[in-house]
Amino acid sequence: MSVVTTQTTAAAAQLDRPPRRRRGKATSYRLSFGHWWWALPAVVLVIVTIYVTTAFGAFYAFTDWSGIGKWNWVGLENFQKIFKNPEMLGSLKNTLILAFGFLVLSNVIGLGFALALNRGLKSRYVLRTLVFMPVVIAPIAVSYIWKFVFAYDGPLNQTLALLGLEQYQQDWLADPTLALAAILIVMVWQSIGFAMVIYLAGLATVPQEIEEAAALDGAGPIRRFFSVVWYQIQPSIAIATTLSLIQGLRVFDQVMALTAGGPAGATQTLATQVYQQTFQFGNFGFGAALALMLSLLILVFTVAQQRLTRDRD
Amino acid sequence: MTRSNSQARRSRWLLAAAPLALAMTLAACSEDAPGTGGSGSAAASEEPQTITFTYVQANPDETYYDTLAKDFEAANPGVTVKQNKIALTAADQTIPTQLQAGNGPDVFWINAGSGIQTSVGQLGKAGLLLPLDSSVYAGIPESQMAGYDLDGKTYGVPSSSQVNGSVFNDELAQSVGVNVTATSNISDITAQCPKAVAKGQSVYGLAGSTPQNNGILAVSIAGSAVYGVNPNWNQDRTDGKTTFASTEGWKQTLQAIVDLNGAGCFQKGAAGAGFDALTNGAASGKLYGFFAPSGAAKSIMDGSGGRAKLIVLPAPAPAGVAQKLTLSSNTGLAGNAATKSPQLVQKFLAFSVSAAESKKIADAQGSIPIGEVTAASLLPQYAPVADLVTSGNTIAYGADGWPNPEVYNALGTGITGLLTGQKTVDDVLNAMDAAWG
Repeated sequence: MSVVTTQTTAAAAQLDRPPRRRRGKATSYRLSFGHWWWALPAVVLVIVTIYVTTAFGAFYAFTDWSGIGKWNWVGLENFQKIFKNPEMLGSLKNTLILAFGFLVLSNVIGLGFALALNRGLKSRYVLRTLVFMPVVIAPIAVSYIWKFVFAYDGPLNQTLALLGLEQYQQDWLADPTLALAAILIVMVWQSIGFAMVIYLAGLATVPQEIEEAAALDGAGPIRRFFSVVWYQIQPSIAIATTLSLIQGLRVFDQVMALTAGGPAGATQTLATQVYQQTFQFGNFGFGAALALMLSLLILVFTVAQQRLTRDRD
Repeated sequence: MTRSNSQARRSRWLLAAAPLALAMTLAACSEDAPGTGGSGSAAASEEPQTITFTYVQANPDETYYDTLAKDFEAANPGVTVKQNKIALTAADQTIPTQLQAGNGPDVFWINAGSGIQTSVGQLGKAGLLLPLDSSVYAGIPESQMAGYDLDGKTYGVPSSSQVNGSVFNDELAQSVGVNVTATSNISDITAQCPKAVAKGQSVYGLAGSTPQNNGILAVSIAGSAVYGVNPNWNQDRTDGKTTFASTEGWKQTLQAIVDLNGAGCFQKGAAGAGFDALTNGAASGKLYGFFAPSGAAKSIMDGSGGRAKLIVLPAPAPAGVAQKLTLSSNTGLAGNAATKSPQLVQKFLAFSVSAAESKKIADAQGSIPIGEVTAASLLPQYAPVADLVTSGNTIAYGADGWPNPEVYNALGTGITGLLTGQKTVDDVLNAMDAAWG
């Protein structure tokens, strides 16, 4: 007994003693994952290619540069022209309609698919893949396919004729109202899968026990969703709505491919105006002013949206 | 804890390497390509005998500029012409950007007038074009040189002329009793359009969603209604003596398009149609003709393996207006002001407008050669308009003299608005005046 006690005491004493240093060798065993200057070349490249070029672009917004030759400083003249031009104001209106329409529809439908394919359904993995597949196709390719669908003699009108619904046939992309709706449909159709996967990730963090407990207390599915699930997936809502708002505000591919801003400018957005003014008309200064304004718009709305959806715990 | 000496040396090397890498990257980006613009080390008395030639290639079958370059090399031993083909849609971004950056080609494709970025007016104003000796373009009729000069200096030469009118399948039209000739006016045509509609076809196809196709239709009609009445209309507009909105000819032009649409002369869904509707419709026999530069006739006939027989017709004039033929020589070549081989560039440009090379380009393109034209030098599809062409009874394409691209865009998008009912004739003309500035 005393030998064991002695051994135990000795062992305990060993544990308390600091480790003995070996002489003549490095003594630091802490792992090091790199130094800050290893990232310096990449940081410099990002600053030069993104931030410096953006700053130059913002500078030209205050000039009348045509992209070639000399330029003159014009101050705020380009920005004043934006707010005086009915076509530009129309583009701003279209941008906001598409952005908020896209935000609401893609998130509501995406959340719906996420709830439906979260648990229970045996084929949910296959269905999730099918819903997500449009996301991986290039937006311009999707848009050209839908342009074919919406064409006057395209599959949509042909299907309506087959069903005896000729009276509903339209020149979908040549009607000012229908064209904007068609663009929104294409945007939402392609992005539902993206919103769905974000919400699926959020729903995976909702403890099933809490939902079961709510069900035992008599809460129906809708009550369970709004009282339990909704609060648990707040971070996912914040991410999904932020990304969709940014994506909606800078919509370009779908508009250019489907209507090129037509008919007669009815579907022009700020992004397509930037392209047209800069590269088609050679008004680099005015185009830069439009781009700067669009960037500020995205920033303002994104910050406002982040404040609305932040976690208040 | 102190770092070892080896660690300190590594840190100092990495700190030095980062800005060195950046400097090398920036230097590579700004390095001039050999044989092109920018400061060079060649002596003034000896020009480099290699020049770069950038041109537009709308489809792979277009090889006329390639042939031109090879013929020049064969005629000038020791000279090399490095070719660079770009898509038509990329021209406005590629060529001005390269010229502005100082690494532009020595010779490049250009448009007459000021209508697009890659035009004599826009690039000449920026000082990026090489002024040409008069010997380069001696012998080219003045009408074909319109738009290649700026402030008294000439900067480019045309490569060919094309009729801006309609490319028409007369055999198909005649088979349903539709007879359209070089003297048919708008009323003659609108009276016959119902015959085509009854057969599920249309006399004309229109890519109504594209400003370019709408524009060529309108300006071709205006060739009779506006410029046929007043050939100096553009100068009068510049001088403030007239406007689009106050010119009766412009009102007649746009009303003619409204009338053609109302009579069913365009295919169904024309307002939202793109260029694919024209090619599909022409290939399937659903439409008899469409408005395009006359070179399109050869492209389509070649594409059909000779089965389609097309003719070139002028755009119909409004009733009561004398019919004119709109001829455009608005695509050509120009030299870089910063080229290291100015004499060689001018020699190349002069070679491109020589009788032999001009005929080769025209035959390959399906267009009309530069210089004096005879009936024998015209391709068969020009038979209906041969008299007008050889007698010089033609009008230049009016839009070539407009000051900026926004005017043409206002016209093109405005016509879409006319087809959809969004705009009136006055709305479109006022928008064009506003765009003129």
